Amino acid sequence: MEISHGSYNQKKFALPVDSEHKATEFRLFSAAAPHMRAFHLSWISFFACFVSTFAAPPLLPIIRDNLDLTATDIGNAGIAAVSGAVFARIAMGTACDLFGPRLASATLTLLTAPAVYCTSIADSPISFLLVRFFTGFSLATFVSTQFWMSSLFSGRVVGTANGVAGGWGNLGGGATQLIMPLVFDLIQNIGATKFTAWRIAFFIPALFQTLSAYGIFFLGQDLPDGNYSELHKSGEKHKDNFAQVFHHAVTNYRGWILALTYGYCFGVELTIDNIIAQYFYDRFNPGGGMLSDFMAKRFGMRGRLWTLWVVQTLGGVFCIILGQVGSLGVSVAVMLVFSVFVQAACGLTFGVVPFVSRRSLGIISGMTGGGGNVGAVLTQVIFFRGSRYSTETGLTLMGVMMICCTLLITLIYFPQWGGMFCGPSSKGKTTEEDYYMSEWSSSEREKGFHRASLKFSENSRSERGRKIGSAATPIDGTPNTYV
Amino acid sequence: MAIRAFLFVLSCLAAATCRGATFSSLQQTLIVTASPQPAQVLKAGEDEITVTWSLNSTFPAGVDSSYKTVTIKLCYAPISQKDRGWRKTVDNLVKDKTCQHKIVANKPYIFPSNNTFTSTVLRDVPTATYFIRAYAQNSEGDEVAYGQTTDSHKAVNLFEIQAITGRHVSLDIASICFSAFSIVSLFGFFFLEKRKSKASESK
Repeated sequence: MEISHGSYNQKKFALPVDSEHKATEFRLFSAAAPHMRAFHLSWISFFACFVSTFAAPPLLPIIRDNLDLTATDIGNAGIAAVSGAVFARIAMGTACDLFGPRLASATLTLLTAPAVYCTSIADSPISFLLVRFFTGFSLATFVSTQFWMSSLFSGRVVGTANGVAGGWGNLGGGATQLIMPLVFDLIQNIGATKFTAWRIAFFIPALFQTLSAYGIFFLGQDLPDGNYSELHKSGEKHKDNFAQVFHHAVTNYRGWILALTYGYCFGVELTIDNIIAQYFYDRFNPGGGMLSDFMAKRFGMRGRLWTLWVVQTLGGVFCIILGQVGSLGVSVAVMLVFSVFVQAACGLTFGVVPFVSRRSLGIISGMTGGGGNVGAVLTQVIFFRGSRYSTETGLTLMGVMMICCTLLITLIYFPQWGGMFCGPSSKGKTTEEDYYMSEWSSSEREKGFHRASLKFSENSRSERGRKIGSAATPIDGTPNTYV
Repeated sequence: MAIRAFLFVLSCLAAATCRGATFSSLQQTLIVTASPQPAQVLKAGEDEITVTWSLNSTFPAGVDSSYKTVTIKLCYAPISQKDRGWRKTVDNLVKDKTCQHKIVANKPYIFPSNNTFTSTVLRDVPTATYFIRAYAQNSEGDEVAYGQTTDSHKAVNLFEIQAITGRHVSLDIASICFSAFSIVSLFGFFFLEKRKSKASESK
């Protein structure tokens, strides 16, 4: 019944793949379809969205004079830019689950491009806030990037793929600080006045975004075996039901914990970017993703969880120190260290997310990503708005909040792999299959909808780590066992 | 009296060479008047401002011995500085951001002075409420005295400037067209996708 996988796979795909046809290797300098090509398409479009979302800050000195903005207007627009993505990320996760990352991200990128084009015709503080708000929705492509990587790369390299794609995409926020002033100067030299030149400059990120959406649509592919729409029609992939997917996402407590803790690494990053206009390249450090995969090889999921908790807590510690130091040189050094830990924590978070749910991967990714933005909004509103706290006090308190929220990771527990303090459960249903099959009802299993999750469970056994060699291995893919 | 004024100017010079002169150390020895009426609204890039400055004769003779050049600037009134830290008034003239737009710079100071200058408001001047200030500078270019069209509280004789929007009809049309094109091509994608999946179904 089952096609033998060995040599058949080698002929079909450029990279070595597992039973789900997910790549087991990550080859950065390849653009082979479908795996690496999707990687490059997704990080480039995410990069474009970051460039657009943060294109306004470097040109603010000109925009604020043109639109007569006050400091409050600017602050509100900055908060609006990151708050739009909160719900957009969750919606994006749902869309990925239902329609596939290729259509979902191309759609969002094209839908938000008008907001960037229309930044050129903004003429008041309110219109400025609105265009920044709607442009910020494009940051939800983070979720489709992570979802797509999780669909194409196996557990062995998923952390690396997620980390590099996210990290290089985030570079857009830093690159735009250089790109926009350069473009603006160029246009001014051609002959436009200041107040017109910045408007023309916004066409560059808008066009980049539009072109990247076209690239994804024409060159990308959702899954190794094809696109969702083709697979739905051929019956190979079951077209899922939104209510079920949503239910399994919101009732999985681990998703909520990761959403909150992500607010205190990525959210903190966004906050720092708005408060301290200093950009660090390589912001979403791919190192975090690679570290997650490395720890998982030896210690499995428990290794991933411990590393995430340690790294994010240390980030909080350095944030507290940052708020305390007085001299400029020391504080820059502390900020560099703090930034490395925060970035790594983001990468480590998305080393865990792909394993929380298989059926509702999209919404879980969306919730986590959205949680990041919620963290940014909350932190800025509580600590960095108005004059209740000095910036130093705000930073120290933010560090304390990071440490407290990160403690929640100690509560995450996978019955098949364990949590930070407990090993895998020794009683009853404790295999990977049990965990991922629990998302499907018996009637759904009878119809065979769960087959993809079954393959995933098998491949996720690597999360047990190296020590645990032969745990109970159930018979492959036999629905009868679970009736 | 003259000696005291002279010493005062010397100390200003000393302060200027050390760290940058402070505004509070400057003497208001110039009388400045300008063409805009109180509460008048001028259009950037179109309307003209005429500034006239002269030495206040109530000051002792010789007070302007160090004045070599005059720079005249447009300065923000307090209402346009509110909630805008980048226009803040600071005593240290190097860091002061009150007067960011030059009307004329380094015009030679001629004694006895009664000078006039007319220019069009530049197109990059933002919408705000303004007054005009003239700085007298010494041979090193440091400010040593000033005069302004308003009082010390910056409350009277203020006028407004209306900036250009920077928008052009061609830009508006381009924005709308590109936006519409993005949405239309999105629907094109959906159509193509449906057609492709129908084709694979019928295979």
